[in-house]
Amino acid sequence: MSQSLVVDTSEAAVGPARPVDPGTGTSPGPGRRVEARRVLRFLLRRPGLLASVLVVVLVVLASFWPGLFTSRDPLKGVSSQNFRSPSSEHWFGTDELGRDLFSRVVHGAQLSLKATLIAVAVAFVVGGLLGLVAGFVGRWVDDVLMRFVDVLLSIPALFLSLALVTALGYGTVKVAVAVGIASVAGFARVARSEVLRVRQAVFVEASRSCGARWYSVLGRHVLPNAAGPVVVLATLELGTAILAVSALSFLGYGAPPPAPEWGTLISDGRNYLGNAWWLTALPGLVIAATVLATNRIARALDGEWSRQR
Amino acid sequence: MTAHPDSRSSRWAALAALLTTSLLLTACGSSSGESANGTGQATSGGTLTFAVGSDSGCVDPQQVGSNDTIYSVRQVVDSLTDQDPETGKIVPWLAKSWDVSSDATTFTFHLRSGVTFSDGSPLTAQVVKENFDAVPKLGALGILAQGYLSGVASTTAVDKLTVRVKFKEPNAQFLQATSTHSLGIESSASVKKTPQQKCSQGVAGSGPFVLKQYVQNRSITLAKRSGYDWGSSLWSKKGEAYLDKLVFKVVPEAGVRAGSLQSGQVDAISSVGKANEATLKGGQVTLQRRANPGVVFGLGLNNSRPILKDTKVRQAIRYAIDRQQIADTVFPTGTQPATSVLAHTTPDYENLSSDLSYDAAKAKSLLDSAGWKAGGDGIRSKNGTKLSLTVKWFTNAATNQPALELIQQQLKSVGIDLVLKELQITQIAQVNQSGDFDGLWGNVTRADPDILRSSYSTKLANWYRVPASELDSVLAQQAATTDAAKRKQLVGEAQKLIVQNAHTVPVVELQTQLGVSKKVHNLDFDASSRIQLHDTWIG
Amino acid sequence: MSRYVIKRLAQAVGVLWAAYTVSFLVLDFLPGDPVSAMAGAGADSAEIDPAQLAALRHQYGFDKPVLVQYADYLGRAVRGDFGDSVSTGRAVTATLTDALPQTLQLTGAALLLAVVIGGGLAVLATYTRQRWLRQLLLSLPPLGVSVPTFWVGLVLVEAFSFRLRWFPAFGNDGLRGLVLPAVTLAVPTGALVAQVLAKSLLTALDQAYVETARAKGAGRWRIHLRHALRNASLPALTVVGLLVGQLIAGAVVVETVFSRDGLGRVTAAAVTAQDIPLVQGVVVFGALIFVLSNLIVDLVYPLLDPRIVVASSRKASFA
Repeated sequence: MSQSLVVDTSEAAVGPARPVDPGTGTSPGPGRRVEARRVLRFLLRRPGLLASVLVVVLVVLASFWPGLFTSRDPLKGVSSQNFRSPSSEHWFGTDELGRDLFSRVVHGAQLSLKATLIAVAVAFVVGGLLGLVAGFVGRWVDDVLMRFVDVLLSIPALFLSLALVTALGYGTVKVAVAVGIASVAGFARVARSEVLRVRQAVFVEASRSCGARWYSVLGRHVLPNAAGPVVVLATLELGTAILAVSALSFLGYGAPPPAPEWGTLISDGRNYLGNAWWLTALPGLVIAATVLATNRIARALDGEWSRQR
Repeated sequence: MTAHPDSRSSRWAALAALLTTSLLLTACGSSSGESANGTGQATSGGTLTFAVGSDSGCVDPQQVGSNDTIYSVRQVVDSLTDQDPETGKIVPWLAKSWDVSSDATTFTFHLRSGVTFSDGSPLTAQVVKENFDAVPKLGALGILAQGYLSGVASTTAVDKLTVRVKFKEPNAQFLQATSTHSLGIESSASVKKTPQQKCSQGVAGSGPFVLKQYVQNRSITLAKRSGYDWGSSLWSKKGEAYLDKLVFKVVPEAGVRAGSLQSGQVDAISSVGKANEATLKGGQVTLQRRANPGVVFGLGLNNSRPILKDTKVRQAIRYAIDRQQIADTVFPTGTQPATSVLAHTTPDYENLSSDLSYDAAKAKSLLDSAGWKAGGDGIRSKNGTKLSLTVKWFTNAATNQPALELIQQQLKSVGIDLVLKELQITQIAQVNQSGDFDGLWGNVTRADPDILRSSYSTKLANWYRVPASELDSVLAQQAATTDAAKRKQLVGEAQKLIVQNAHTVPVVELQTQLGVSKKVHNLDFDASSRIQLHDTWIG
Repeated sequence: MSRYVIKRLAQAVGVLWAAYTVSFLVLDFLPGDPVSAMAGAGADSAEIDPAQLAALRHQYGFDKPVLVQYADYLGRAVRGDFGDSVSTGRAVTATLTDALPQTLQLTGAALLLAVVIGGGLAVLATYTRQRWLRQLLLSLPPLGVSVPTFWVGLVLVEAFSFRLRWFPAFGNDGLRGLVLPAVTLAVPTGALVAQVLAKSLLTALDQAYVETARAKGAGRWRIHLRHALRNASLPALTVVGLLVGQLIAGAVVVETVFSRDGLGRVTAAAVTAQDIPLVQGVVVFGALIFVLSNLIVDLVYPLLDPRIVVASSRKASFA
């Protein structure tokens, strides 16, 4: 489940070679205003994408300023008002202790987004470094690192995460790290192939033959040019990570109660499937909408936008 | 010495008067709702599918302490005696009669003849002796049995069917203990297995059902014992059970259990909380309730922890809990907030509701005077230490998590941080032994106040690390006295000491609530609010 | 050919060995003391005395240097012995092989559903000339990979078990009990199949031979199914490994949701109980299934598509 999006990324890696733009690292492009207008036009022609951007913006806002959306306490409710179905007063209804579910989902965004970002950051940094070193140094280092990556890939991601959770223990951050490490391999692979591609590009060869130091070649040419696909992968990975993190917290390895992590909310709601459908259904919808939105944006970054340019 | 059947009733009546005083158990046997019991013609055969929430990881009745598993393993063994859930009286089962010495130190049981275990071996005095010799050796693994046989001097097989148990000191609770599943009699071959083997492979008992299959965390399957003919004197059907097969399935989510009962996938479910009552009411389901005697649900505090050594802190916790709110929000309708450490249906219970009132202001002032000052985040601290406690709990009842989250909220409002740590019920022995907790959420069901001694005497397991005090001698005396009035006074004294010093924080009484399909008849509670399925039939 | 087979086999064994090593390393980092846990779970007496702890430590080989432990365990693992579960005392291998059939049933059914529905969706989406229908069909797979599997399961239980009462909500009871879990698991898998197949179908339809066939007057359906689909399904085979990984991972969640016996539930319980030998067994077992399925694809692929030059393919690494 957590690997479902890797197809697109591997395509990004092995697909037809992208033109390399030697100027990306330095010049900001032809005029900001034109760029902005073009982005707007691009978005307006794609209402689905616009909605996706909106959803992601809302989720990000909720995780940094939950107060914008609700003033209710996510941890404290009026116990006599428990199991109220969704209404204008409680948009998502209330839970078994009378807590406002909407407020819990909003405040849960912070925990879930934090975990997601940690997971992607771990995968991005560790995987990116592995790929960079392998691609740049080459020779036996490349062989060793890539064999290691092959091994990581041969263990189903969730199983690797579960093994890590067994070793590290429970909690939001630990789950995030476990998910991140389990997706290191994909990043390493993409980063390596990008580095290889850029390395062989004419201008890199040229600057090397001009006697530039390896680190300056790396910093000025290789990194900026190789970063693009890796960043796209990171956006794609966001959706995957949200799902993986929520699956682990659904299984009970996340933060202890009363923390309203999204997966935990659904897991707790299971006890009241018969009498309070909203406790499972609505947090699930929020997760699905968020993942759908990040995936849509990633797809746009990956394909449509670059094609339009 | 042989028992004369005629002298039996007078003997045990006298004994009951001697040992158990003011048995209030009648008051608690209120099965709610319209009971479908007794309608129609009872028919043999069929399978009862019973969904429970957890698995203790063990199918040895002598070791199991969690109701979800007791429901099934209870059916595999018989006990020497049985306890009438209506009157609390001890009545014959495998023992057709017994004598108790006037100082309650010597118990002589006269066994029924012709009883066999499911492995074919006969019930003899020697087998009973082997059982009673083995149970104390279980130690902490015999979660409930611990204490039942403490202070035993010797068990001897007087003749083939007469067994005598001698205690070093008077032991008033022992007769009731022989009626529990924890002292259920297992075959000689089973007793000789290691505790682990008994847990994973099960045991051969003489009960109305036989263990067919046990798959950990998933299911326990029992089959009718053919030729069974030595049922408890309380049961209405003579001979074999009605049902052919019992299947206990582990379904952890209360909501899924409730839904499956409604949709007919299962015939009965355990642990129905308040949340699912409305869904289940009416239709094809009857809700059966019965208050459990024994130690109420509460926070068992680890009295040896630095923060909790201070009586004021423990008392503050006691005052900070709004028991009525918890009982009303989470637990089955009719659940009573705790008014003592013992449930009101336990013999010699004493109402201490004034000590267990909800008074947040008092809690705060106690914490203030103990030096715990309010901090910026609402959590108190003292010398840089946060007033934060870790409470461990087990996933064996649907009501546990919401109850604890409510307690967490209530304590937070007086400045105490509660960290909840969820464990599997299989880990209970380990947690008890290690003492690695600040608080432990749980209860102990037993229809005898001696459960206080098992739970809080420093002479026994002392899981809550209570410091030695006069409580020990009070608990020892109540166990030793044969004077009913004296025992009542001593048990009352013990309750006061425990509650007033807040060695534990009582919260609510456990009221067992089962959801049972209307096609199931005579699914009856026993004296400990667990179930007997010998008389149960489907039709 | 035989050299190719031997090379693939050797690679598979190498990957398995490394997977074992990785899991050993990860679980060896465990901060807790597995031995105390074991002693607590099954001690005879109330007190765990140090001598007993030491004995247990010795019994499980925890008193030896890490490298020796590793060699010991590896030696046994090669013979299929992963030790005994800490929480149940049963042999890990037996526990896993007992649970395997139930999971194979579930994943098999889910795979079938995924291929039929996902494949059908891809074919229809690329065949239709109705723009709106194509848009609609193509929007389904992204949705399928975005919804949390456990949530889909719960919604299905709510609707089809509790409201409509068509299927049981939990357990392993027969074919009816298989329907909801299989559908749940098929959602993300089917979406993946649809995505991959649609993509390669579109590529195939652009190829010259399609033009040729069209010029020869072949019907649209015929071109679509005979020529394009046939050629498009070959590249789709390369994601089989990915599918298998997704299926067994999905089984962990789905079996938990439906309280179904199987590998997934064993895994979840093992993690909860910090049952290290069992978790390790599961990880290696997962890798084994994954490696085997990739191996089969690698070996079958050249037979299906003779154009593939045997030595150059490296599809196992595609995922």
